[in-house]
Amino acid sequence: MATINFGYTISKPRAIDMDRNNLRKSDEILREMPELQACIGCGSCTAVCTAGNLTSFNFRRVHTLIRRGEYQGAYEEMNKCMLCGKCRLVCPRGINTRGVAMLIKRKLGDNRS
Amino acid sequence: MNKRVIVIGGGAAGMQAALRLKESGVEPTIVEREAETGGKLRDWYVLFPSFTPAADVLGELRRRVAERHIEVMTSTGVKSFTSREVTLDDGRRLACDAVVLATGFTLFDASLKEEYGYGLYDNVFTSADIERMLSRGRVAKADGSRPRRIALLHCVGSRDEKVCQQHCSRVCCITGVKQAMELKKLFPEADVFNFYMDIRMFGPGYEEMYREAQQKYNIHFVRGRISEASPTIDGRVQIKAEDTLTGRPLRMSVDMLVLLVGMRANDDNAALAEGAGLRRAPSGFIAPRNLFLGNVESDAAGIFLAGTVSAPKNIGETLNEATAAADAAVEYLKRS
Amino acid sequence: MTFFAPFCLPFIIGAAVMFTVLLVKWGVWLYRLPRTDKMTILRGIPTRRTPQAVGEVVGEALLHRSIFRVDPLLGYMHMSLAFGWFLLIAVGWIETVAYLGLRYVPLQGHVFFKYFATGLEHKPVFDFVMDLLLLFVLSGVALAWFKRLRSRALGLRRTTKHVLGDRVALSALWFIFPARLVAESATCGLYGGGSFLTGSLGGWFSAHLSVPGLMNLETAAWWFYSSCLGIFFVAMPFSRYMHIFTEIPLVFLRRYGVRSGEKASSMDQFQTQACSRCGICIDPCQLQSVLHIDTVQSVYFLRDRRYGMLRPETADNCLMCGRCAERCPVHIDLNTLRLNSRDALRNLPDERRYEYLRGLDRSSGSGKVGYFAGCMTLLTPRTLAAMERIFEAAGDAVWWADREGGVCCGRPLKLSGETDAARKMMRYNTDLFRKHGITTLVTSCPICLKVFREDYDLEGIEVLHHSEYILRLIRAGRLLPKHDATRFTYHDPCELGRGSGIYDEPRAVIEALGELVEPSETRENAPCCGSSVANTAIDDGAQLQIARAVAAELEATGAEVIVTACPLCKKAIGRGAQQPVCDLSEVVAQRIG
Repeated sequence: MATINFGYTISKPRAIDMDRNNLRKSDEILREMPELQACIGCGSCTAVCTAGNLTSFNFRRVHTLIRRGEYQGAYEEMNKCMLCGKCRLVCPRGINTRGVAMLIKRKLGDNRS
Repeated sequence: MNKRVIVIGGGAAGMQAALRLKESGVEPTIVEREAETGGKLRDWYVLFPSFTPAADVLGELRRRVAERHIEVMTSTGVKSFTSREVTLDDGRRLACDAVVLATGFTLFDASLKEEYGYGLYDNVFTSADIERMLSRGRVAKADGSRPRRIALLHCVGSRDEKVCQQHCSRVCCITGVKQAMELKKLFPEADVFNFYMDIRMFGPGYEEMYREAQQKYNIHFVRGRISEASPTIDGRVQIKAEDTLTGRPLRMSVDMLVLLVGMRANDDNAALAEGAGLRRAPSGFIAPRNLFLGNVESDAAGIFLAGTVSAPKNIGETLNEATAAADAAVEYLKRS
Repeated sequence: MTFFAPFCLPFIIGAAVMFTVLLVKWGVWLYRLPRTDKMTILRGIPTRRTPQAVGEVVGEALLHRSIFRVDPLLGYMHMSLAFGWFLLIAVGWIETVAYLGLRYVPLQGHVFFKYFATGLEHKPVFDFVMDLLLLFVLSGVALAWFKRLRSRALGLRRTTKHVLGDRVALSALWFIFPARLVAESATCGLYGGGSFLTGSLGGWFSAHLSVPGLMNLETAAWWFYSSCLGIFFVAMPFSRYMHIFTEIPLVFLRRYGVRSGEKASSMDQFQTQACSRCGICIDPCQLQSVLHIDTVQSVYFLRDRRYGMLRPETADNCLMCGRCAERCPVHIDLNTLRLNSRDALRNLPDERRYEYLRGLDRSSGSGKVGYFAGCMTLLTPRTLAAMERIFEAAGDAVWWADREGGVCCGRPLKLSGETDAARKMMRYNTDLFRKHGITTLVTSCPICLKVFREDYDLEGIEVLHHSEYILRLIRAGRLLPKHDATRFTYHDPCELGRGSGIYDEPRAVIEALGELVEPSETRENAPCCGSSVANTAIDDGAQLQIARAVAAELEATGAEVIVTACPLCKKAIGRGAQQPVCDLSEVVAQRIG
């Protein structure tokens, strides 16, 4: 099947199945960093991202997928982050984005395939 | 009833409150810091959603104020006040029986969002600049040429923790839609893009206007907040955002970047509130006594709130509230 | 003389345990040092570094000069305990020699000499000197008691909260000298001797107690004294009092050039265990003074790390501003220890990471001078525009390394503990700089500056912060900014000031433009803006609180313009200030041609 390649995919091209997805890890992440819940998905973090400027890394997309219980590939994606902190400087919701990136890596590190 | 009420602020709210007070047989005095009445309305071209010229509304209010011989003190700042006395900047004290506070808001200073380059790059403007340019009848790039691509950015100085402005200024969204349409009318060949986080169309006719902007004017709406702007060699502005609906970073060069600046609380609210025993909301605006059953009253008896001194509002809401504040003041004077 | 009595046992056992543990610990740590460090030590021993180290040990471990600088009374307290005790021991040995000539006397014979020397003819000079020294130490003990009640009187707003083991050792230490006073006085009361202190108290005892009563008191007091010593000695290697002896090898190792690094090493043991938990690091910490967080300061971090109970929350919650390290009387390299703890928690060697860096080059322009804005500077375009203006005025052709987006310098990643991954960025940028043949590298970001200077191998390329570069241009007459009556104040960025030792250059530039007024805490004591990339634990509200406190101090100077030289500081302070906050480059660019 011919599909347009929109860059990378970090999850299989299918619906997000909230009946199947296990939100345990996601809940753990939100419990440790509740401010992530304040995200309104404005995309500022992705727009300024130093790594995103050079590769297909999309911080907003990765953490949003994680909050839907889609963990596959998220750790590897998050490892593209350089932790430079530009995103934290622009987040209009004041989210500690660097802390989020580190937390996600810590929580999903053992999920690596 | 031989009572005197001082209305602090001679903008739309102040004038309307004074008119209503006079109607009810109370003697109002408008104290205005600027050299003339009118407030922020003076700088506006046409009002959404009807494209009514702001000058029509302002002219009518001024005419009525003059016709009813309402006392207006211009170029007069207020240092502090209570419900019985207003102290002016020059030290004079005016006795009164009640006060209507209608000092309005301050426009957010877009240069604080340094990453957008306002005041640094030639072709970055604020929505207030655009209104002024529209009023003067000459909208153009810094070099006088016609823009071919224009971006408007919503929420500059609103909903932004980084500049300590958490609140939504409400009217910028509809202003952005309105200005996009006006710009498209002026420059039919230009592409106009609105970059937004959320579109908030709260007033009558607003949603319809939004739809009209999309359908009739072909305004492009991109869901993503612009994160930075930089100059290009040919004098344009390159902007970066994430197009969140496709999940991909977006960059484009534009001839004009318009920042839809928000409404923030006046810097002197803190001092005035402390002197008068008023409460401020976390946003810095003056908090009404009760959001439902006392929304034009303040925490202090005899002090009433009209217009944007208590929160961002549009002109219609401001005028209604001014009437309500005046009525509440009259009720108060009857009781006292 | 036998020099033995049953009460000596607690002391003998305690001393044996202490010396054994001490020697084992030091031996293991030394053995585990990397080979290069061992060679460094061996090469250092025959040099003048050895006498310098001896001098430092006397000055710091005994006299505690650094603590005197924090507060004279606190310094006196530490000195009286350390130096006083040392003198008691040293003079005690001389006393034994004076009485008995040069002959072997077991350890307890020296320590409890008063008890054993009752049959000998008294030497009043020694009685007097020993009493004087005991008084000296007792005054320190009294101050220590007083400090627990009123820490502020000794220059500390807050004092350390101790764990149980420390409390046991501390209590034993508090009682050692009062017990000695009572024991020696009781002996003097029975057998005569002693001077103004032990003699007088002994006289008072014999006047008020019966002889059997006094004999009982004597036995009990010597037992108590010996037990206090024993308990203290056993507790010592496992408590904060390990610092008493550990500071000595630390001073020597440091003088020889051994350092802790980004990876944990045996040297870290000498540093962590040399911490006396004095708590001087607590007061300068803004997490404490502004945010009232009081579980993460260096003293607690070192304690938790030493006992293997370090939690990531503690390791991560530090601005790494270096204010505490500046005050640490033992000069422990606190930031490096914090860093290598984070490395131990988080570093993951992953060879596949950052593969996307290969072959990238988004730089533009060309010239011998390279300019690396840094990620944060891309969000302060007024700095970029000012630098462009300055380069133009100076006539320097510039190679722009990262204006169109570059690769991070690697320091933020390193500060979070991912040191191996950070190396990849360092290598990438190094290759890029070399490829474009620059001889000078200017950066506007102190974070980048520090990592370029410390971790990059940039031989042949001079790395300058823009403040240094601008000052050079002014001094060479290549930049002629106008001087006017503007009053500026200056905020020292942590990584530029304490981090890289650049305090004077930005000030000299400002003085070429107008008047400089200093805030109350400045230079080495300057506060952190709160937005440090080293801290990933505090939230935005906390960062803002710190920024507001800093902005208030800067505005209190009455200056018209707040100047700083770091994009992050500028952004942070700008959130809390009413006054305009500018980068150094901006105020210079505004005043040229």
